[in-house]
Amino acid sequence: MASVYVIAEHRKGELGDVTLENIALAKELGEKYGLAPKAIVLASSARAFAEELADYIPEVLTIEDPSLENFLYEDYAAFLRPAVDMFGPGSIVLCPHTAFGMELMPRLSAETSLPCITDVTELELDGTRLRAKRSIYNGKIVSSVSVDASKGALVTVRTGVYQAPDKLSARGTIEGLGVSAEPVRKKTEFIGYREAPAGEVDITQASFLLSIGRGIKDEENIPRAARLAEKMHAVLSCSRPVVDKKWLGKERQVGTSGRTVKPKVYLAMGISGAFQHIAGVKGAGVFIAVNRDPKAPIFRVADYGVVEDMFKLMDALEEKIGGER
Amino acid sequence: MDILVCIKKVPDTADAEVILRSDGKGIEEEDLAFGINEWDNYAVEEAIRLKEKEGGKVAVVTIGTGDDEDILRRCLAMGADDAYRIDSSPFYMDDPYSVAKGLSAFAKKHSFDLIMTGVMAGDMSYAMTGPLTAGMLGIPHTTLVTSIDVKDGNISVTRELEGGLEESVRLELPALLTIQTGINEPRYVSIMGIRKVRSKEIPVLRAEELGLSAEEIGEQGAVLELESLERPPEGKEAEMISGSPDEIAEKILEIVKGVV
Ligand SMILES: Cc1cc2nc3c(=O)[nH]c(=O)nc-3n(C[C@H](O)[C@H](O)[C@H](O)COP(=O)(O)OP(=O)(O)OC[C@H]3O[C@@H](n4cnc5c(N)ncnc54)[C@H](O)[C@@H]3O)c2cc1C
Repeated sequence: MASVYVIAEHRKGELGDVTLENIALAKELGEKYGLAPKAIVLASSARAFAEELADYIPEVLTIEDPSLENFLYEDYAAFLRPAVDMFGPGSIVLCPHTAFGMELMPRLSAETSLPCITDVTELELDGTRLRAKRSIYNGKIVSSVSVDASKGALVTVRTGVYQAPDKLSARGTIEGLGVSAEPVRKKTEFIGYREAPAGEVDITQASFLLSIGRGIKDEENIPRAARLAEKMHAVLSCSRPVVDKKWLGKERQVGTSGRTVKPKVYLAMGISGAFQHIAGVKGAGVFIAVNRDPKAPIFRVADYGVVEDMFKLMDALEEKIGGER
Repeated sequence: MDILVCIKKVPDTADAEVILRSDGKGIEEEDLAFGINEWDNYAVEEAIRLKEKEGGKVAVVTIGTGDDEDILRRCLAMGADDAYRIDSSPFYMDDPYSVAKGLSAFAKKHSFDLIMTGVMAGDMSYAMTGPLTAGMLGIPHTTLVTSIDVKDGNISVTRELEGGLEESVRLELPALLTIQTGINEPRYVSIMGIRKVRSKEIPVLRAEELGLSAEEIGEQGAVLELESLERPPEGKEAEMISGSPDEIAEKILEIVKGVV
């Protein structure tokens, strides 16, 4: 029987939550198309991760090897190339669309005969055709793409789309996959991790964030936003382009590659609503979005929306507050 | 150190209205502004900085039409030494595999020490072209690169992980890196600068010259097929606050007061 496999993502001894999101999708596909959902843990010591996952998925397979302590696609691929041959025709392999999945899956595709689709939000099996929905053109369009999955297929799944599933009533089984690595002459080497420096503020603790995006347009406008934030008793945060341009420090960046925040109010101005940004706003009490584009995807996640030029609104807010607050 | 940077021209759709084409397979392009993919611009800058430090040459390549030559010329103005265009007409450009086949065939004809692409392109956001190309060439790669350091035939890079964490990885050359935004501050390109490279020849290569047949890179050879495009489904929508900026400001302050 064909199966749907989830490759567990772990780093520094911890499983990523994103693996559970993938398990949710694997189980959904399993029920719909009669595929057996399974998780695969590649690690130097896989037991603890496998135990954790067995609460959620009926079958966990492990591949243990000292080379698998820190992720390098070369080491993973050395095991996964022979592994996918064992999976059987029509099997689907899932990975999160993260630094891990983005590094591994297209490469594995090039090194095997399995096609790959990245950053998918939905999957559908139509005979041997695997069809995916993907969000493109800055979230303004959804595309349907497909590959021939008769031999199997590799997929990276957008994070934050699926919710971690409930625990199983009966725990899943854990078993070694029994695959050995293909010999490789290694050309990459893991050196170490680098933590982000703390920076001048901790936006994760703020109860009110005024967050600015590329709509701020010019470095000259930053002080204006900072002044407004201060007057509103908000902490200033931002989207990635503002940090890329060095207009604000990295510690103020909200999103997957920045910080995850949970303020009581998130007031976003001039931010379009890319998933990498939105994924960093977890459980904001009230999410207000200001954007001059009525079609901006941020309006699909915000509680309140304002279609207006952010500078006009900033002026109006400043005037209203005046000296009162 | 000879470096190849693979670039693409994309429309700016973040700040514009996107209209579906009536055939449902593309978008109306007339009213959109096009430019070099944001990630690629950082890659070109990084390549030029490496050249300035280590010596060697920087070449840029795109698979495109004559209309795409302006981004190549822009790179020449930034400091790239050579620019090539692979004629896109036989390619099924919606398939990242076709594109990677073209780029890897091109790279094979030369001997680059380093190949760079953007992490992804802002239009389709597959993030596949780089790692696929490296896989087809059989050279090591890493994605999401935020700094580069070259030393004795090896290259050490940092790559971005989640939550502000980074990792350092060493790769043997030749290698392929996909470049993340923010790695540098791309230089400004003046109209004067572009004028200076106006007459520089941009060789145009045909797929056959790269040993690629239409069956391999055309629609019939596609691995990934683009079937259709649609508007995002109606989901949860924000409650819209309307009125004058003054009225809106008042409403926002009220909401904030109620919560904070
Ligand atoms: C691996 C990876 C990790 C990433 N991590 C992050 C991350 O952690 N955080 C993050 O934010 N992004 C991240 N990104 C980038 C992300 O994909 C988007 O590119 C980014 O979030 C876009 O930022 P933005 O919304 O400010 O800019 P844009 O998408 O350019 O949007 C600007 C918006 O401002 C509006 N606007 C312009 N002018 C005005 C005005 N005067 N008034 C009102 N509105 C205006 C426009 O209509 C538009 O909607 C990551 C990308 C990758 C590939």
